Amino acid sequence: MSEQLAPAEAGGDHAMVEVRGLKTYYDEGALRGDPVKAVDGVDFTIEKGETLGLVGESGCGKTTLGRTLVQLERATDGDILFDGEDITEYGSAEIKEWRKNAQIVFQDPESSLNDRMTVGEIVREPLDVHDWPALSVEVRGADDATIAGDGTVPDADSDRTSDITVDPRATGEPVTVRDRLPFSAADVEVDIDRDGDRVTRVTVEVIPSKHRLRQQHVRNLLAEVGLQEEHYFRYPHQFSGGQRQRVGIARALALEPEFVVLDEPVSALDVSVQAQILNLLEDLQEEFGLTYLFIAHDLSVVRHICDRVAVMYLGNIMELGDTEELFGDPANPYTTSLLSAIPEPVPGQQQERLTLRGTPPSPRDPPTGCPFSTRCPVKIRPPEYRDLDPDVWEGIDLLAEIIRQRQQTDRSIREIVKETLGLERQFAEVDDVVIELFGFLAEDRPPERPAEDHADAVIAAVPDPVRPPLETIVDHLRADDLEAALDVLHAEFGSVCDDEFPAEYPVSDSGRRSLCHRHQDEYRDPEDVFETITHR
Amino acid sequence: MPDDDPPLLAVEDLHTTFYTDKEDIHAVQNVSFDIEAGETVGIVGESGSGKSVTARSIMGLIESPGRIQPGSSIRFKGEELTGKSEKEYRKIRGSGIAMIFQDPLTSLNPVYTVGNQIKEALRLHQGLRGKEATEAGIEVLEAVSIPDPRRRMREYPHQFSGGMRQRAIIAMALACDPDLLICDEPTTALDVTIQAQILELLEEIQEERGLSIMFITHDMGVMAQIADRVNVMYAGEIVEKAAVEDLYNSPRHPYTQGLLESIPGRNVGKERLSTIEGDVPTPNAVATSCQFAPRCPEAFEACDRIHPSMVEAEGYGRDHTAACLLYPEDLSEADRIDHHRERETPVEEREPTEDPR
Amino acid sequence: MHEEPTTITERIAANPRPALVWLAVFLALFALEAGALIQGVIVLVERIIVLLPTEAGLSAVTGAKQAAAEIPTLISREVIPNYGYRTPDGAWVNTFPENLPYVDSGLEPKWAWLIRNVLAFGYAAALLGWILHGYNVFRREYREADWTPRDDALGRFRRHTWGKAGFVVVFLFITMAVFAPTLGPTTVDRNIVQPYSYELTYLNEETGELDTVTVGTANTESRSAGAGDQNFGPWSYDNYDRFHPFGTLPQGTDLYTFMASGARVSLFIGLLSIAISGTLAATFAMISAYYKGLVDLALVVTGDSIMSIPQLLLLILLSAVFAGHWLGEIYSGGLLLALIFGFSTWPFLWRAVRGPALQVSTEEWVDAARSYGQTPRKTMTKHMLPYVIGYLMVYASLFIGGIIITTSALSFLGGGLGVNSPTPEWGRAIAAGQDYVATQSWHVALIPGVLIVLVVTGFNAFGDGIRDAIDPESEAGEGETEIVGGGAG
Repeated sequence: MSEQLAPAEAGGDHAMVEVRGLKTYYDEGALRGDPVKAVDGVDFTIEKGETLGLVGESGCGKTTLGRTLVQLERATDGDILFDGEDITEYGSAEIKEWRKNAQIVFQDPESSLNDRMTVGEIVREPLDVHDWPALSVEVRGADDATIAGDGTVPDADSDRTSDITVDPRATGEPVTVRDRLPFSAADVEVDIDRDGDRVTRVTVEVIPSKHRLRQQHVRNLLAEVGLQEEHYFRYPHQFSGGQRQRVGIARALALEPEFVVLDEPVSALDVSVQAQILNLLEDLQEEFGLTYLFIAHDLSVVRHICDRVAVMYLGNIMELGDTEELFGDPANPYTTSLLSAIPEPVPGQQQERLTLRGTPPSPRDPPTGCPFSTRCPVKIRPPEYRDLDPDVWEGIDLLAEIIRQRQQTDRSIREIVKETLGLERQFAEVDDVVIELFGFLAEDRPPERPAEDHADAVIAAVPDPVRPPLETIVDHLRADDLEAALDVLHAEFGSVCDDEFPAEYPVSDSGRRSLCHRHQDEYRDPEDVFETITHR
Repeated sequence: MPDDDPPLLAVEDLHTTFYTDKEDIHAVQNVSFDIEAGETVGIVGESGSGKSVTARSIMGLIESPGRIQPGSSIRFKGEELTGKSEKEYRKIRGSGIAMIFQDPLTSLNPVYTVGNQIKEALRLHQGLRGKEATEAGIEVLEAVSIPDPRRRMREYPHQFSGGMRQRAIIAMALACDPDLLICDEPTTALDVTIQAQILELLEEIQEERGLSIMFITHDMGVMAQIADRVNVMYAGEIVEKAAVEDLYNSPRHPYTQGLLESIPGRNVGKERLSTIEGDVPTPNAVATSCQFAPRCPEAFEACDRIHPSMVEAEGYGRDHTAACLLYPEDLSEADRIDHHRERETPVEEREPTEDPR
Repeated sequence: MHEEPTTITERIAANPRPALVWLAVFLALFALEAGALIQGVIVLVERIIVLLPTEAGLSAVTGAKQAAAEIPTLISREVIPNYGYRTPDGAWVNTFPENLPYVDSGLEPKWAWLIRNVLAFGYAAALLGWILHGYNVFRREYREADWTPRDDALGRFRRHTWGKAGFVVVFLFITMAVFAPTLGPTTVDRNIVQPYSYELTYLNEETGELDTVTVGTANTESRSAGAGDQNFGPWSYDNYDRFHPFGTLPQGTDLYTFMASGARVSLFIGLLSIAISGTLAATFAMISAYYKGLVDLALVVTGDSIMSIPQLLLLILLSAVFAGHWLGEIYSGGLLLALIFGFSTWPFLWRAVRGPALQVSTEEWVDAARSYGQTPRKTMTKHMLPYVIGYLMVYASLFIGGIIITTSALSFLGGGLGVNSPTPEWGRAIAAGQDYVATQSWHVALIPGVLIVLVVTGFNAFGDGIRDAIDPESEAGEGETEIVGGGAG
């Protein structure tokens, strides 16, 4: 892991990347129904030189977030500030220019390289698109001199070193060439026109053609990522997955970006190759002073390489903070569940495994309130149900889930017609569900007893105070009124977790924050509640 | 203590070759292992290690241009499977050995409901029809913890989430009440929380039914959680066999050691991960020497001449074997070389018979 | 291990011999027929100038044409003539090799014609073979990469027997079309278009003397119209010692000449239609796959609308509209047909390749190209098009067969549809022969019919070969990894 820079040391007073209220929605528009809220309002910063990890399960929006940061997706709302400037406001020409600063490495080494092009061509293409190198010339001590020949005027905004620096006052060699360029001062011819003492014009001629320079640069890059120079003429076919990923990395580094988004760069690779690529990424970061956003679903990899980690769920950042702290002492219930689900490569360890129930909700229809409310094992309950039998509580949760899923199901025309004609109830198997969820409370069902009767018996066995509202709910379901059933469920068993979207609370001195209602003083902390669950 | 009953599955000297236009690929060579009733045996390896091909060979799913070489033996419940006709194999598949694959999306037919597909399996293997089949199907969906199973029977695969699909597939496999369940990377495509659910489910089912499981994966973490014994494969051969604790606590083969040292999960806090140099070779010839030698930090001269056999790697008779010239540890180098050379089957014998083309 | 980057010119300069050898032979081959090629180009230019309103370069072109006519061409009617006559004492005059100095007597027209045809086809084959050899030389000596995906595809095609058979048929067809003026025993102008403007000399059997007659009159005596002596079947001479490899038509014109020229027309129509249709289809496929969304929807709606126009009605309508127009004149309606086909069939081709185009647009390398700011146009041509071209070629080869058939069918129907008289077209030959199918003049309808079947099947087979050659390629060697590893895990 690279050294964590204190904010004051970071370049300038801007963080390298600052994201405010970013939202990326897909499929918006009246005809398409609900939009997919892939990224639903996130804020964070990335300091220069650090590696921020972004983890989450599929559908949480981490890939979309990464892609939005490199402008492969349009942000629907919010700002992305890069070195202090809002890139969401850029026009297409500015974006193209900006792209030199931020690049992305893709996940799938099979699909991220065009098989018809040689490796050399692949890595070279970005250079051709941007007419690299710009050959910017800085003339020391003469800001108003005109630049002629191959040289160009350096970009005023950029604080990068110019490619060629000419110092007319120098006694020795007047020309210095930036380190990473594949030519040296010996390849440059400079003509300085003076008017008396003042330098009026500097003509710069670079002997090797740009074509040559690019070829050499590509060869240098290939060597840097651990491939051999003769691989320039080979096709991606002829390489293994790990080597192809190296080519992808070389390509991302071709334009010398400062910020690189790594979208699951090692997920598709074998274990032993993963280690090679991770080491390579760290070496490159150190050598070139890169800033990384490392997107992954493999938490142990993230733990190894990232300075700070953001945990995403359903388009929101649930927790963000220093890696070791977060892994050692997770504050957010989702983080805790996620961490406990990782299978440790240590056999025989009786893991305190918390197996999360259910599946994440659809990003088209996120829950009101906290996004994790449908699955949270430590969800806040109304006070009267605090000490309820957890199995009964789970039954209630599952019932809510099932009803919600039913609501969302696309029913076939036939089914809708049958319903309208009253030939089939939407919730035809209420009784079966009741028996399934709460049947453990009563005795086993004798085979001749009809489902409805047994369901009633089961309900009767449910303890107070759950039974009355449950009876009402089941009545609503039997009458096919899913809405009313959900309303009762919500009113009776719901809490702030279902109603309000939680705020972010700081959970440690190092600036870690977590999105959860339980961090408020009036509720117990998540860790405490987890203790009671696991130590049952 | 050797069991008196024969193991549920006994694979001996399995050799499967693929004859492609460019070269012959010996995807699996000299593979021998057992699975007892009620236990979970893991096969771990990276891509190109041959673990999937092993599973398919056992299931009889190897098609041209692939071929199981004569001399290979796969005995299931005492019965020899190699050489069986397709028809005979079909009787064994499902009710004897069932298999679940990595990608749940492609394992289910998208144009039929899940219930339809489960009932089809039930009809083929247990002869159930109609209402009986539906009830049995619901039961089996319940057994894999799919909530609201009656409704789910009527739904299509695309209406299921990834994890639920995998459960449905496990349900289909279980519907036939097999003795052995082969799982080929069943959780690789799933999220980690869903993976945890599936692993828990498999453990539950195993306990309830006394099922044997052959679990194939490349994830060392998952392997540690689920397996009782582990076989490590490299370039088509088994290089180490051990009980799971022994393997992780004291890995013997340099490949296993290298593998364990390169995973971040076991090396928390280390600055750099150690790596195994080089790439996995394509086994396009019968192995005449140690295939790992080019990458092995402990290789010596004999490693390029002699093909190592499986020998005891831990001197307490604890059934921990490795195919490496460094073992048995208590012998001198010269003795070890002799030991392995004696056991080496001559190349001509191992050379497969003529290309079936 | 540092290789100096080189350009291809540098590499050739470093090792010039193979390239020079190849080039020398190529130029030699080219020189043999250079005359014909140059003449052809000039004639084309002349025709275009004629169409233009100005008379600008006409005289210059006509002068050039005459000059070009002087350039000898080896395999030509002048060097290997067959349109000769017998002298009373049995020798053949004005047939090959009698036209050569120091040779007194020529071969029979039959053999002279055969020699010329064999040479023509042989030459074409030699040229093709030499070009392929040139590719091998390039690959061996001058190409930097020692293996490209194309090599695999070519290798696969080489092993595909059915595809190769198709390729041979297509090649023969194209050669026939290209060399048409040289192949027939006589020329179109002389025999079909203006037969009464030419005269021929022959040995009058009755008088035993040489006599002349117009070609037109000779034709009227050479009809194949049913039974007995009213028939001149394949591989026969007529009463005027003219050789007819395929026999004659009911009008008395030579069928082989008609067919060769008709091949040219069919090929022209086929190629032009496919060129138009293919370009449109490829362009629109790229656009819909890259931009997706509304653009794709708009194209779908447009394409569907065009597809739903009944083609036959469109043809009849447009043929009538353009009847007197210059568009309708070229190839007697052939150009018009080609244009109509091209612009009305692109939706079908587009639909066929839209799938692969959409598929390739989801590949990550397309995203990668966007991420470093590649322009849409370059992305489409470099990263998407190569994957679609293969499929396009397959469908195009199927389509071209269809177009040939449709053209023949329309010409068969006649009445202004299709290619009209006097431009030869295979369908019209069948129409001419349809009444005589059950008679001794069966050859009139059957030979064109069989040839159509052969050519179309050849194109289909060729397309098959291409598809099999490129298909596994687009899976990029996955076959092996799939077999062995079963995925990345």
